[in-house]
Formats: sequence, C-alpha cells, structure tokens
Amino acid sequence: MNPETLLLSALGLPVAMLLGCLSARLRKMMQRGLWIAPVPALAAALFGTRTSPVVLSGEPYHVTLMLDASGSMLLTAASLLWIAAGFYVPAFFRGRVMTGSFTVCWLFTLIGSLGIFLAADLVSFFLCYALVSLPAYGLVTYDGTPVARRAGAIYMGFVLLGENLLLMGFVLLVANTPDGSLRIADAVDALQAAPSRAAILSLLIVGFGMKIALLPMHFWMPLSYTASPIPAAAVLSGAAVKAGVIGLIRFLPFDMALPGWGELLTIVGFCGAFYGVVVGITQSNPKTVLAYSSVSQMGFLAAVLGMGLSAGDASVAPLAAFYAAHHVLVKGALFLAVGVAAVTGTRRMGLVVGPGAIVALGLAGLPLTGGALAKLAVKDPLGYGIAGTLAVLSAAGTALLMMHFLFRLAATADQAPNKPASLGLVVPWLAAALLCLIGPWACYPYSGLGTPSEILAPAALWKTFWPVASGVIVALVFRRSNVRLPRIPEGDIAALGGWLSRLATACGAVFVKVDGVLRLWTTACLALLLIVVFLTVAMRAGG
Amino acid sequence: MPSEAMASPNAGFLVLALALPVAGILLVFLAGGRYGRGITLTLVLAGVGIAAAIADGVWRTGDALTYLAGGWAPPLGIKLRADGLSAAMIVVTSIVILAAGLYAPNEFRVAQGKSETRASLSFWVLLLSVWAAMNAVFLGNDLFNLYVALELLTFAGVPLVCLSGSPATLTAALRYLLFALLGSALYLLGAVLLYGSYGTLDIGLLAAQVRPEPALWLAIALMTAGLAAKTALFPVHIWLPPAHSGAPPAASALLSALVVKGSFFLIVRLWFDVAPAMTGAIAGQILGAMGAGAIVFGGVVALRQTRLKLLIAYSTVAQIGYLFLMFPLAAEPNALAGGMFQAISHAFAKAAMFMAAGLMAGVLGHDRIADLRGIGRALPITVFAFGLAALSLVGVPPSGGFFTKCLLLSASFTAGQWWWGAVILAGGLLAGAYMFRALMPALANSEIPLTLPAPVSRGREIVVLALAVCALLVGMFPQRPIELLQIGRVHLSEVAPQ
Amino acid sequence: MSIATVFGICAACLVGLGLYGLIVQPQPLRKILAFNILGGGIFLLFGAVARRGAAAGMGGDPVPQALVITGIVVAFSATALGVAILLRLFEETGGTSLRDTPKESQSQETNS
Repeated sequence: MNPETLLLSALGLPVAMLLGCLSARLRKMMQRGLWIAPVPALAAALFGTRTSPVVLSGEPYHVTLMLDASGSMLLTAASLLWIAAGFYVPAFFRGRVMTGSFTVCWLFTLIGSLGIFLAADLVSFFLCYALVSLPAYGLVTYDGTPVARRAGAIYMGFVLLGENLLLMGFVLLVANTPDGSLRIADAVDALQAAPSRAAILSLLIVGFGMKIALLPMHFWMPLSYTASPIPAAAVLSGAAVKAGVIGLIRFLPFDMALPGWGELLTIVGFCGAFYGVVVGITQSNPKTVLAYSSVSQMGFLAAVLGMGLSAGDASVAPLAAFYAAHHVLVKGALFLAVGVAAVTGTRRMGLVVGPGAIVALGLAGLPLTGGALAKLAVKDPLGYGIAGTLAVLSAAGTALLMMHFLFRLAATADQAPNKPASLGLVVPWLAAALLCLIGPWACYPYSGLGTPSEILAPAALWKTFWPVASGVIVALVFRRSNVRLPRIPEGDIAALGGWLSRLATACGAVFVKVDGVLRLWTTACLALLLIVVFLTVAMRAGG
Repeated sequence: MPSEAMASPNAGFLVLALALPVAGILLVFLAGGRYGRGITLTLVLAGVGIAAAIADGVWRTGDALTYLAGGWAPPLGIKLRADGLSAAMIVVTSIVILAAGLYAPNEFRVAQGKSETRASLSFWVLLLSVWAAMNAVFLGNDLFNLYVALELLTFAGVPLVCLSGSPATLTAALRYLLFALLGSALYLLGAVLLYGSYGTLDIGLLAAQVRPEPALWLAIALMTAGLAAKTALFPVHIWLPPAHSGAPPAASALLSALVVKGSFFLIVRLWFDVAPAMTGAIAGQILGAMGAGAIVFGGVVALRQTRLKLLIAYSTVAQIGYLFLMFPLAAEPNALAGGMFQAISHAFAKAAMFMAAGLMAGVLGHDRIADLRGIGRALPITVFAFGLAALSLVGVPPSGGFFTKCLLLSASFTAGQWWWGAVILAGGLLAGAYMFRALMPALANSEIPLTLPAPVSRGREIVVLALAVCALLVGMFPQRPIELLQIGRVHLSEVAPQ
Repeated sequence: MSIATVFGICAACLVGLGLYGLIVQPQPLRKILAFNILGGGIFLLFGAVARRGAAAGMGGDPVPQALVITGIVVAFSATALGVAILLRLFEETGGTSLRDTPKESQSQETNS
C-alpha cells in the first residue's frame, strides 16, 4: 500500500462512516463500531511517514497532506486513543440513551482530530481545526443539564473567538507569502521577513493558546471536561486539544531565534503549569482534577516550545510532539479510569488504582515508565538554568496533583464493595494504560534520546525519581494532616463572569434603547439628510 | 469603451429575462389566482434556464452581453447590459424566486371548489413583479431606467409586507413605502443633477464624462443616501425589522434576500462604474463606518430579541453592513468580490433561514425563542437547514460566509485598513452568539413531544434545505463565481489607489 | 435672471417644502401629499434643466420631458399605493397613526 493511499484512507474511512450516519439503521450499528474509524489513520501513522507531501489537486485549492515526524507521533497516539475510546463507548452507554447526535459529533470530531495532523496547507488545516472544535459542542453538552449547557456555551465562545483570531492570522500569513502559496511551510518561511510579523505571531499564539488552555484563557477546560461524558472527555482532553499543540509546532518559526516571544511563551506556560497544580488540588471531582492537570501539562508544553523559540532550535518540535503524544495517551487513559472507578466496588478498586498510579505518576516522570522518557526528551530544550529548575518543580507539582487525583478516584468507588466493572469498560482502560507505558519506549529509537544504557543509568533514574518522590511525600503529608484547602469553584475565573454578563446585558439594553430612538421617523429622516451632507463634504475633501 | 458587440450572441436572453416575468404578471391577472401557482412556477423554471444562459453567455464571451432595444443606441435608446456582476445576481435571484415559489404555503394556493382569496392572487403577482424588477435592476444601464426598476421593486415589496392584512403589518408597510419614497426622491434629485451637468444618464457615457466637481459629489451623495435608505443601512434601518418580521415567511425571504440587494446593487454601479475614482477615500470610510455600525449594532440588538423572526430581521441589518465594507477598500479587487459574494451567500442563507423560521412558527403557532423546545425533534430537516444557514452567516468554513470573510479580511489587511478586520471579527462573534441563542432552545428536548397540527410537507422542508446547501456550495466552489464577477469590469484598471 | 433659473429656485423651494412636510408632519396622508410636493419640485427641476439645455431654436430638451412623464406616472402609482394602504389601515384600526411601538411588535402573532 503506497503512502498516498494510506493518508487518504486515514480520512476516507471516517468520512464514509459519517455519510453512513445519514441512514438511521447504519447509525445504530455504528455505535458499536466507532473503534474502526481511526484504524486506517493508525496504519498511515505507522507506515506512511514520508517527508514529501501528498498533493490532491482540486479547484481551487490544492489540498496538501503530509506526515512528518511530529505529525506521525501525534497521529499514532491520537488514533490509538480514539480506538480505545471507541471500544469503551458501547459499554459506557449500556443502560443509557445514546442518540445519533453523539455518533455524528464523535465522527466529526474524529475527522478533524486526525486530519489536523496530516494537513499541510492552510485551508485544510483551518477546516480540520473547525471540525475538531465545533462539533465537540455536541459532545460537551450531551447530558443536556444546565451545567453542561453553560460549559458548552463558554467552550463555544472560546472556540469562535480563537477561530476568528486564527483566521485573521492566516489571512495575514497568505498576504505575506510571495506567490500566495497556501502551504504552511511556505507561509512560515515567509514569516522571517514579514512586516506584520508581530501581529501574525500574536494572533497565532493567542488563537492556539485558547485551544491549549494557556493562562488566562484556560477556564473553559475544567468546565467542559467535567460536563462531558467519560469517553468524550477522554478524546477531547487527549486528542482534540493537541490540535492547538500541532498548530504551535507547525506555525511557530523555530528556524528564527525570537527571544522576546519565546520568553513570553515560556513565562506564560510555566505560570499555567503551576496554576493548574495549585487549583487542581482544591478540586474534588476527579474529572476536574484531570482537567486542571491538562492545563498544567499544556502550560509546561508551551514553556518547552517557548524555550525552543528563544533559542531558534528547530529540533524542539519532534521532542515536544513526543511529550504531547505521551500526554494524549495518559490523559485519555486516566479519564477512562475515572469511568471504570465509578462502577467498581471498593474492594476491587485495586484494578483501577494500581495501574492508574503508575500511569498518573508516569506523567510526572516516574522512572521506567513512558513518562520518564517524555520528561527526558524535553530536558534539552529546557536547559539547566531557571527553566530547568522550574521544570523539575513542575514535575513535583504534577506528582502532587496526581496523588490527589488518585485519592479522589478511590473516593468515587461504587457503594457495593464487590461490584466488578464490566469487561467492556475495563479492557479499553487497561489497554490504554499499557500503551502509555510501552508506547513511548517503542517510539524512542526514533526520537534520538540516547542508548538504553544511558537512559537506564542510575544517575539518570534518580534525576527523574526524586521530583516524583517529593511530590508523593507532600501529598501523603497533606492527606495525613487533613489540611482544609479553600474551595475554588470549577472554572475558577468563570465564576467572576457573573458581573461581566450583567454588564453585557446592561450594554445590550442601551443598544436597544438607541435603536428605538433611531427608528423614530424624524430621527431617521434627519439622519438621511445628514448622510447626504457628510458624503458631499467628504467627497469634496478627499476628491 | 472596449469593443462590445451591438447585440451580442445570447443577447436575446436579456430581453426574455425581462419579458417573461412581465408576461407572467399579465397572465396571472387574466387567469386568476387558481392558476397562479402553475403559471408562476412554469415561468420561473424557464427563468432559471434563461439566467443560466445569460451567465453562460457572459462566461463564454468573456465580456458583457448587451442588447439595444429597437436597435437604437444610447443616450436616446435603451441598452440592456449584463456583465459578470449582473449575471451572477440574475442566477441567484432566479434560484431564490424558484425556491420561494415552491415553498409558498397552501394558503396561497386556491383549493378545489373554494373561491380565490386576495392573498392567493396577490402573492404570485408580487413574486413575478419582484423577479421582473430585480432583473431590470441588474440589466439596466441607464440611471433613469434603474430608477423605474427600483420603484417597481419597492412597489412589489411593500404589498408583500402587508399581505396578511393585520394592522401592525399595514403600519410597517406604510412606513416602508414612505421611507422608500423619500429615498427615491433623493435618488431622482441626484439623477436630475447628473443630467443637468452631463446631458446623459447612460452609465457608460457618464463614466466617460464625469469630472470631480461639486455637482457630481452632491448627486452621488444624494443618490447614495436615497439607495441606502432603501437598503436599510444603519442608521436608517428604520423600516426593516417590523417589515421583514411581519411578512409571511416566503415574502420575508424575498424581501431580505433579494429586495434590499437591488438598491445595494445600484450603489455598487454608482461607485464602481459611474464615478469610480471621483469619490475620495473619506467618503468610502463613511460608508464603511455605517456598515461597521450596522454589523455591531445589528448584532447586539439581534442578541436581545425574544422573537425569532425579529432576530433574523436584525441579523439582516447586521449582514447588510458587510456589504458596505467594500467601499472603503474599493482599490482592492478582493473587496468587490467579497462584497458581491456576501450578497450572494447571504441571499441564500437568509432566504433559507426565514423559510425555516416560517415552518417552525407554523408548527408552534408562535415564534418566541424561549419556547422553541422540541422543535428539533419535530422538524429535524428544517432545524438542520436553519443550522446550515446559521453556519454561513457566522462564517464557518466551508460556507459562503466564510469565504466572504476571507476576501474582506485579506482586502482590509492588504489595504492597511486593519480596523475593518476587527469589525469583521466582532461581527462574526456576535453572529455566533445570536445564532447560538436561537438554535439552542430549538435543539433542546421538551418533555412532551410536540404534536404537529398538520403534517408539514416534506417538499417544503427539502426546498429550505436546498437553499441552505446552496449557501454552502457557493463557499466550497468559489472559483468560478469569483471569475464570473470579474467579467466586464471596464473600470477596474482605471481605479487609482487612494 | 433667466426663466430657467427662476424655475430652478422654485423647484428648490418646493423640494424644501416637500422634505419639511415629509419629515415633520405626523399624519400619513400629509406625508403622502408632501411627497407629491417633493416630486413636483424634482420634476420642475427637470423642466428647468430641459429649458437650459435646449438646442438652438427648440423650446426645450425633449429627453427630460420624457423622463418627467415617466416620473409623474411613477409618483402617481406611489401615491395610489400609499393611499390604498392608508385606507385599509383606517378600515382596520379606525386611526391613521404610524407609530411603531415596541409593544405592538412584541404582541403581534406571526403569520405563517
């Protein structure tokens, strides 16, 4: 199978399944078969990596697909997560109503989520970005409760704002590119000499930053992930968010050293990394804790990218992608764990908490897990100065947060002590956990991190161990001492939105009053005559 | 003047485009309301074919089609001219008219054994009149012929508002008529000044003779203001919300999608064909500022509406603002394409939206947004079409509205006038907000499933869906329409950058 | 001062009066009459232009005369339409107010 066919079928199968959803019967059948959709994408990611792009000529755009190293790592992780979650879905919905809208929104988001790693031209990138963001509304508000709807509304607000900002950035990029080429690579190359470089960079960073919940545009994340059903939360937090990551990787001009922008990104990233931990440990819902962990991890990732941007180091892109790919699997697996824990009895929680501990602490860098590799990968870009120290502290903070998550997870166990969770739920969870642990090890030969003996040397192991250990110890101390932490509402800043919406309502009322005045007959006629006067004077002045 | 054949091949279709609707009016009067629907639909179907032939002719020859009535040349004779802009708008008009004719509800159709009502006769006549007037506006090449066409459009649009005969709609119709008459008076005053200064009203001859002088400025200002009043540009949008929301849904679709575009088309003719480089940058900025005001103001007020049809009407006010963003950016070729693209995609999307709202209101008996629960289950196709049209208005890829935004954004950035970009951004967000507000209750489930008082004809839903899909298609395959719009633009090369 | 100039000034006065009436008078019938005055002023202006642009030996430029005739027809139709709607409004409500109150637009039921 040649790579072109693989890339095309990666998107072709989900699209075909989506078209199949037009028939009600197929829609019902598809509920059990959602795991099939990402399989060609997985094949493409594993076997279809090539450095030269695949161009589909069409009128008037030439759709360009390309799979480079960063894209293929993320695509592998994302498709594995979508497959695992696809297996999880039928068991999750046993006993619940699963409407066709869930299937349709799921498939749309899947197409966008997989396509964004393949897109190499601005048009298809933007289209996939829209597909990964907008239909997710249906997933977030699936429960239909007022809480879910509020979360969905805030989510949509950020999506629309971010997309508009990105659109403006893309339009500026195209205006700058010499021959109007729509390829991302050409556009980023032209960014070097662009006069409006500052505007473009700020638009792109803010736009993508909204997607990855960069501080202070982060508060949609806890609200959305808490409100979504478990499989949706898993794929949204795991795979969908990485659209912003791949955007930053593709669009930031790592060939140029931009210390100002890089440092800004690093500072904001680290703020987010610590903020996520601090607020996360005050939350009681395990889903919310995981959401704040995502805020923290994405902030950390942004800091890594920022360091790379400062140094003008293009090798940071595949390393960051490696880290992000590990996060895809971990976050998805942990959300699945939350779902399993909710229906497992207290006696059988070991099945959940045991692997969960390894996976979660792997996020902090527990030695011999895939997470340790990920932490090792990003050590070089972060360097050994302040950023390096902050990174180590952040790892400790993540360990603390993950311990808190594990405690909250255990607390959500089902009342009946011996109740087993159904296999349909447990198998995907364990499979995802396993992938977290071994996946990065399978990939690492391609990441250039050094030989196994270097990685497994005791000094290296200790370097990743002690932050985790300190975080765990702090967590245990907190628990033992029963410290009461202040209760911060989910979505922290969003709670302040009350007065903002009152202000907006008042403004709206003023507008309506003005409209009433403007629509009086005399006012309108006078306005008309004034228009004549102004236009005449203006033409005289400017003519 | 570039070489245009005295009567180009396919030029006979230009005459047919005018003659067919007018003949239809007479036929429907004679035959009565009973056969009104049949006659109208036959003629409109033929009209779609004619529109396609005109567009094909323009595309093929790569130049505008012209026809001289009676073989007499201007300034004494009447010349019909169809360039790319006209051809595109004629095609769009015929499609929307066809959809409105297919959608029009049964109360406009006379049942067996019943006597015809006034509404059943009037609707078909008015539909054909709007069609005739729109074609005349697009094909006219003389400012006075265009005045007559404009008046015909107003006289066809006003009764459409008060077709139901309720006092509120009568008031709205009378206000519309009086304000539109004020607008036409201003337009005519400007035309007098132009004739007095240059001795001709033919667009081509005028373009060759105009000089930047006070008479021209005053004339253009008067005509622009008069046409702005008919297009309901902020702040003179006085008549639009009650008129468009009170009319029957098929009529609202026609009014929002087509009638306001007719007067807008004339402003484009004035600014881009008659006096392209004479108007100066500041005047363009004033028009753009009014457009920006429309976008923001219309968006915010739409957000505050409690009734669906009023919300859609204020959305029209806001979307009309996008049309006027092309005037400050007139030096950029993308701006003209963007503005006309907005006219086209908004026509499809707004017509679909009004028709969908009409179906929903017909089922529920009201159009309060807060009480729309359950309609998504009852009329899935309709609500889906409404959603598609909303996507186009908000500007989500790959719809026509999205492509419009791309064009206008690139024009504003290339011209260095980035503030229009900010306005477009704000407009997109506001549109997203009020469409969201309208759709969310519609998609929510009600506890008790809605019972439909009468089965909603699947055909009507399909028509609405087809219109909404048109709005999407125009955005997915924009290359041909964009090239079509550029044909016959004689003055593009002469426009000096301001 | 030529006759064309006198008529031109007359026309300007008529236009001004018509505009004033159209804007200020609250009753629709008076607005319609004011529109007619406005139209009359514009047609008179056309006539002045015709007189001024007359070729040697002719009384007036024939083109504006043709335009004025068309304009009169259009104005007449406009007046007829306006009066017809006004009469209907009077029949329905017994009054001729053009006030578009917010209460009115909120309480009106939709027509499908």
